[in-house]
Amino acid sequence: MSETSNIDIVKKGLGKRYRAEKRFRIYGICAIASSLIFLAFLFISIGSNGYTAFQQTFIRLTVHFDPEILGDTTNRESIASANFPSIVKQSLSMMFPEVTSRSDKRLLNALISSGASYNVRDIVIENPNCIGKTMQVWVPADDDVDMLIKGHINREAQEGERRLNDKQLGWIEQLEKDGNLKKRFNMTFFTAGDSREPELAGIWGAVSGSFFTMIVTLVLSFPIGVAAAIYLEEFAKKNRWTDIIEVNINNLAAVPSIVFGLLGLAVFLNFFGMPRSAPLVGGLVMTLMTLPVIIIASRAALKSVPPSIREAALGVGASQVQMVFHHVLPLALPGMLTGAIIGMARALGETAPLLMIGMVAFIVDIPSGFTDPSTALPVQIFLWADSPERGFLEKTSAAIMVLLTFLIAMNALAVILRKKFEKRW
Amino acid sequence: MSAEKKSIYPDKPELQFENKRKFTNKREPLVDRENRKTVGQPTVENPRMSCLNVNVYYGDKQAIHDVTLDIGRNEVIAMIGPSGCGKSTFLRCLNRMNDTIDFCRLTGTILLDGKNIYDKDVDVVPLRAQVGMVFQKPNPFPKSIYENVAYGPKIHGLVQNRAETDEIVETSLRKAGLWEEVKDRLNQPGTSLSGGQQQRLCIARTIAVGPEVILMDEPCSALDPIATARIEDLIDELRENFSIAIVTHSMQQASRVSQRTAYFHLGDLIEVGSTDQVFLNPLHQLTEDYVTGRFG
Repeated sequence: MSETSNIDIVKKGLGKRYRAEKRFRIYGICAIASSLIFLAFLFISIGSNGYTAFQQTFIRLTVHFDPEILGDTTNRESIASANFPSIVKQSLSMMFPEVTSRSDKRLLNALISSGASYNVRDIVIENPNCIGKTMQVWVPADDDVDMLIKGHINREAQEGERRLNDKQLGWIEQLEKDGNLKKRFNMTFFTAGDSREPELAGIWGAVSGSFFTMIVTLVLSFPIGVAAAIYLEEFAKKNRWTDIIEVNINNLAAVPSIVFGLLGLAVFLNFFGMPRSAPLVGGLVMTLMTLPVIIIASRAALKSVPPSIREAALGVGASQVQMVFHHVLPLALPGMLTGAIIGMARALGETAPLLMIGMVAFIVDIPSGFTDPSTALPVQIFLWADSPERGFLEKTSAAIMVLLTFLIAMNALAVILRKKFEKRW
Repeated sequence: MSAEKKSIYPDKPELQFENKRKFTNKREPLVDRENRKTVGQPTVENPRMSCLNVNVYYGDKQAIHDVTLDIGRNEVIAMIGPSGCGKSTFLRCLNRMNDTIDFCRLTGTILLDGKNIYDKDVDVVPLRAQVGMVFQKPNPFPKSIYENVAYGPKIHGLVQNRAETDEIVETSLRKAGLWEEVKDRLNQPGTSLSGGQQQRLCIARTIAVGPEVILMDEPCSALDPIATARIEDLIDELRENFSIAIVTHSMQQASRVSQRTAYFHLGDLIEVGSTDQVFLNPLHQLTEDYVTGRFG
């Protein structure tokens, strides 16, 4: 009778063990692959919808700056009230002299963006000598023309089913033939504020609103969060009170952001009477939301500093404060910065609390300070996604691309900072 | 062997009184806690530090039982004993490093030059300048070699300008026997040194503050034999200027570097005496078992 030795039993079980290991690897690869597929799907869908927004259709007009139509253009105020729309209309009808009826003229004028007269006005402001001369000017086409050129309106469709009728299509074809209609880089998108007209809408107002909000958030939440973390971790006695505080901070980190928005509405707007739609209030609300994240990350960073460094500092007679500020803090700072940047990135992408404090309003002007009414990038995306015009669809995707670029840049910055300042011991 | 010892003890009148009873118990397998009164010579004349009836508690657990022990001037006292016997805990009480542990409590008195360091009016910051500490694992600050040594004198205001700092850094590194090896790379990080060099850097950092007593908690446990030998030579040299208390797991090390040895067991100080006496003629059964390698 042969005795089965231990090694035989071990060998018998080996196959099963390896199979389990292989199975687990396959699960892991599947999980990663599926998440990558979803991510790729997200990026492709956003990119394919949005890349067209970086180009815009322009129409070349031959504008005669007729002083009789414009009227007085000697100073800024009179330029503001000068009759630029007429000049634009005049140059259009010069281009298409066969259009005479009133309704046809209206259709013709609809090809040009209502913002075209502002472009012409800006030329006059920049160069007052052009009065009385004739110049060639590229002005933005209306969003319907833009959509047609980008292929979002089907030219073959029945006349009643598209937003441009047969006459307008004919004019556009003629413009294309003469080289007077062209797609160019869409500078407006990066320099303008919001607008009801897709071809005039830009994200700069939202970007500056987000920027001011983030400044307020950073200036408030980083020092307060780090100070709270240092006190709780290094100085406070571990007792029931600090336990309660710790549990509450952890809970706050999990509170839905809309609740912070309501709090901001009740406290900052209604009780303290702060201005509505202001980045200042947005920043305060974001601070409340980001603080727990920063505190938790900073405490973790402080905890990860090896105790031997603390002992070394105490051993040569450093006081508690000296120990923390000379030795522990420099080692914990990369982790704290990472936490802060990730918290800020979350705040940058946050929409809900801003809705509550009025940063969802339609604001055309670009904010120039912390108390100017403004909106923020994610709110702008929300507003555009809600708009019925076809032209806003690509703007929405493009704004998402801009927001994601900022977020990825911030996260990359966090990684770089951590790598740069991390010290080995 | 025991027969030899029996013949030796009657020759030592100073040990006779206390040890007669113990001696008869020598072969009993376990000594009761009641019988754990310290034997040997816990006190010395004109001590630098003296501990009287020190009890240490971690929460409800008592880690040190009623320890009375003196640390003399210009001597090296070794503390030996099995793991968890409380020797490190006791060492950390001597410069109040245990203050950092919230649930650690101490009763009794520890006198440094006649002043109880656990008095309410004693500030731990100057105390730790007087009683320096070298830890088990070399723990230089993640800064340059120069800054490592200069840090202590700087925070205590012992140096006013760069020249004074340079001087104190050099003398400390010389005393620690590290100067020749690092004088050309003082701006490199302290962590770039080898383990033995790091430990000597930590010793230099400690003596730069000018302490009276240096506590060493297993300073060589992470080092190879050559680095250990260097540190042991260094300890012997430092004895001229400092009192040194060293915790060690290596009995050979204790016998090489120390003048007196204290044996701890489960929180009790079992036996104290001159190193020769503790290793060659232990009075207590537990000590003998330990030093002869019967356990521990």
